[in-house]
Amino acid sequence: MDQLFCIIPAYNEEDCIAGVIREVKKVINNIIVVDDGSTDNTYNISLNEGAIVLRHIINRGQGAALRTGNEYALSKKAEIIVHFDADGQFKADEIDDLIKYIRKGEADIVLGSRFLEKKSNIPFLKKYFILPIARLINFIILGIKLTDPQSGFRALNRKAAFKIKIENDGMAHCSEILSKSFYYKFKIKEVPITVIYNNYGQKFSGGLRILKDMLINKLLN
Amino acid sequence: MIQQVLAVILIIFFLLRLSWQKKNNQISFSEFIFWLFFWIIACLAIVFIKKIDNLVSGLGFSGSGIEVLIYFSIFILFYLIFRLRLKIEKMEKNITKIVRNLAINEKEDKE
Repeated sequence: MDQLFCIIPAYNEEDCIAGVIREVKKVINNIIVVDDGSTDNTYNISLNEGAIVLRHIINRGQGAALRTGNEYALSKKAEIIVHFDADGQFKADEIDDLIKYIRKGEADIVLGSRFLEKKSNIPFLKKYFILPIARLINFIILGIKLTDPQSGFRALNRKAAFKIKIENDGMAHCSEILSKSFYYKFKIKEVPITVIYNNYGQKFSGGLRILKDMLINKLLN
Repeated sequence: MIQQVLAVILIIFFLLRLSWQKKNNQISFSEFIFWLFFWIIACLAIVFIKKIDNLVSGLGFSGSGIEVLIYFSIFILFYLIFRLRLKIEKMEKNITKIVRNLAINEKEDKE
């Protein structure tokens, strides 16, 4: 049996987190919730649902939380790590679609894409304006061509999780993970997923912040 | 002329304040030296403003000496802000590192 871990970064998600943990539990036993400095009851709810809970004492952003989860999972000898969102926008029964390619050795990193086959109810402006810009910027700055640059649903094998050390604390980590996957020449696969938009997610201003973070990181490293 | 005298008086006031801060150990030695030179250079620039005017027009700038000084100070300010941003970004990363270690250690202590 391979060591399978699911990492769920959560910031003030007391309404959704219990349901998400229960759904994921059907597929993966080892669930790591990284409570990213929540001021609500996320921490206790996650503990009660039987997740391993790591607590950031202050909010550091989704990228930072994912890295904390990665490092902990790797120290527990994780072989496959799945990144999942706490707000219930992904479907836990699609986790198997991602990890089967890693198990078969066909990919080191599998990305869930909102744009292949399956129909996600992506808001109009997001589908035809924000995400195409994100794709273009990723292509220009990072030289990456993928259908969905900002998806938070992905699976990595141990080798990839070990090599890809997330430097962007905020939301720019999605692009960063992609660029590092290409840099280290990992085998990448995109798999169609369903996304349920409960709320809008990244707004255009959030996209600009991602761009700023990406550029500053380029300068720092 | 009166403007120059006023500016020099102002600078003398800042220099006195600086030496007072140094005496009370409110600033470090390197910081003291930096501001000392800063105000001395500012003072020299004001006293020899005519020379600077000549120099500046000799270099082909259309503005007067004081204008060119302002251009330069804006340039320097931008550069300092840029450096400050990078420094803050590094500090942010270090804070994240501390928060991460605390989270993982807390978990491992419980196991």
